Amino acid sequence: MPMKTQDRSELLSKLGLDGQNKATIGRVLSTGSIGEATERPDGTMEATIRIGEDEMSWEPSILVLPHGGTCELTIINDDTNTHACLLPSNGDKKFIGLLNGSKGTATIELDGPGYYWYGSPAGNDEGRGLTAAIVVSGEVPPEAKLDRPAQSRP
Amino acid sequence: MTTIPEAPESTSPKGEYIDAGKAINHSQLSSLKHSAPNVTKGIDYERILKARTAEPQNWITYYGAYDGQRHSLLDQINTDNVKKLKVAWIHQASSTGLIASTSTYAFEACPLVVDGIMFVTGWDGFLWALDATTGEQLWRYKHAVPFDITLCCANVNRGCAVANGKVYMVTQNAQLLCLNATNGEKIWHKAIGDVRAGESASLAPLVIKDTLITGSAGGEYGVRGHIDCWDLETGDHKWRTYTVPKPGEPGSETWPADGEAWARGGGNHWVTGTYDPELNLYFAGTGNPGPDFDGEVREGDNLYTDSVVALDVDSGEIKWHYQFTPHDLWDYDSTMEMTLFERDGKKLLAHFDKNGYMFVLDRTNGELQHVTPFVDRIDWGVITRDGKVTPRKYPEKEGEPVHFFPGPAGAKEWTHAAYNPNHDLFYVPVADVGATATRRRREFKEGMPYWGAAVEVDIDNMAGSVSAFDSHGEEKWRYRMDMPMAASILSTAGNLVFAGKPTGEFMAFHAETGEKLWEFQCGSGHHSSPMTYTVDGKQYIAVPVGWGGWLEGIIPGMSAQGHGASLIAFELSD
Repeated sequence: MPMKTQDRSELLSKLGLDGQNKATIGRVLSTGSIGEATERPDGTMEATIRIGEDEMSWEPSILVLPHGGTCELTIINDDTNTHACLLPSNGDKKFIGLLNGSKGTATIELDGPGYYWYGSPAGNDEGRGLTAAIVVSGEVPPEAKLDRPAQSRP
Repeated sequence: MTTIPEAPESTSPKGEYIDAGKAINHSQLSSLKHSAPNVTKGIDYERILKARTAEPQNWITYYGAYDGQRHSLLDQINTDNVKKLKVAWIHQASSTGLIASTSTYAFEACPLVVDGIMFVTGWDGFLWALDATTGEQLWRYKHAVPFDITLCCANVNRGCAVANGKVYMVTQNAQLLCLNATNGEKIWHKAIGDVRAGESASLAPLVIKDTLITGSAGGEYGVRGHIDCWDLETGDHKWRTYTVPKPGEPGSETWPADGEAWARGGGNHWVTGTYDPELNLYFAGTGNPGPDFDGEVREGDNLYTDSVVALDVDSGEIKWHYQFTPHDLWDYDSTMEMTLFERDGKKLLAHFDKNGYMFVLDRTNGELQHVTPFVDRIDWGVITRDGKVTPRKYPEKEGEPVHFFPGPAGAKEWTHAAYNPNHDLFYVPVADVGATATRRRREFKEGMPYWGAAVEVDIDNMAGSVSAFDSHGEEKWRYRMDMPMAASILSTAGNLVFAGKPTGEFMAFHAETGEKLWEFQCGSGHHSSPMTYTVDGKQYIAVPVGWGGWLEGIIPGMSAQGHGASLIAFELSD
């Protein structure tokens, strides 16, 4: 029976879905925090993504960009294990190795709207919880829209 | 539900961080050369006009030539030696991480080859440049495609275009890309559709003059189909022609006068068209009306859905049209190739439609010449030889199942026929499978599936064939199968016809008799378009292999066959 009224974070914790070696072996994807990128005056965006110690998950687990375009990410590995990060970007994916206690950057370009997954391509980091989402919100440019009256959406 | 609070700031266990540097392109961790000879530099309209005869060693446009015949003049590989074909090389494609429509990805492309360099697109935004003699990857481009993109009906792409040192492709999230053909670097890209409305793109663009023609996909989501023209160099938009007219425009009388059925009318152009330079006409096939199976909300013929529209390439104006399935209630798109050929001095166009009939038109004016059935089982309705359409079985009453042949994937899906003008024979990948549709009306909401029915395609009692018809519609030979054909055909001057089966066999037939002369098990099903080329005097046959696509519609009885993702090139053994 779904417990719709209970706070989701409490339920995730109670059921052991938000950490390593609780109900699940790894951590269920996207059970961490939600963060937003910051928009710079020139329209590019910036944000930080991080791996916590023994968390095996990205924080935030959902990063929201206000629109498509270029985003500069600061990537931090606070874990006491080595990981990596493979990110979507137009042209080619972006890769960075992340030694224990390391920090680096990545510049990615994404179309919007839509959402993308990224992860740590090492062992089964991706399955243990090191897979997270980047959401690009917004609309397509006006010239790409259909010539028709506004339609209702779900 | 509450938003989960952000994690607190943390510091390195040692107080300072090791510098991990800046992320690099993933392909730097590979053996890619990241460069290719500038072979497309000299490709222009004049060369594409003469593609078949002046440079048969190459395959420089989607169908090999503007006429869509998929017939090569190469004859080094022929009926006498085809038994000596062996694998020359294999390109194993792959991807990393989660991708959109994970269960459906597949090759659906036809590779291009220019002077020894192959350009081929894959699923999820991939384009590879390969050495056509060894299969070595020279460079690759990977567009980032959203995981939640609306796709009907799979994560696929049918090919690219080349000209003036560049390569062009569309992406699943409705972007048009212009890449540097020597290294795959992006020069420009344009949003060409509205992904929130359910639009996507999957066709190979076509270079005509100094422009590029594209179309849209998304007919199962109640979009309004369109065909677009772009400047080759700058990407500037030249014109857009909607395939469903607005109220007051020609053809609007075939839609309900009240309401907004036209605005959700479909008619998408999702397979590359053909072109007659003398007539200056682009022949575009259009898709099903929306909603697919609920005709009561769109009374009328619903122009220009399920049609061929002949567009003036300079203006986009529709000069004539012919509708193959008026007021479609079975999802019978007509997007498939419009093959141009001549007979008795007359400029004609042949089309094998999903509805099971072969149409031959005068392509100067759209006048029907004759209609002939090309599949054994047709019971949705009847079309007489002079084109009179009488529907018989269709989803009419809410909740009442109706079974009909052919099913919604048609007697021939998007996969292409080939035409050998020396024999006046069309080689057709035929599917013979039915389906049951039960009308289930739903309210239109932007971006949501808009079928108007529950649909189940038969998983047994299916058949298929590679069938040869002359241009009058008379069947000359047939290679029978116990399942539908789901891949394009290639014809060559070596008097050969090549075709791949869902079970993985790639076969060569005698063009005149249909005798099977050779086959090779490719390890996965075929759902793409084979082609041929020569480099340094040696002929190759190339075929993308890999089972996927809209299998639940085309051949659900084989939907668990398993994926594959290879491109295989064959050559004659010494």
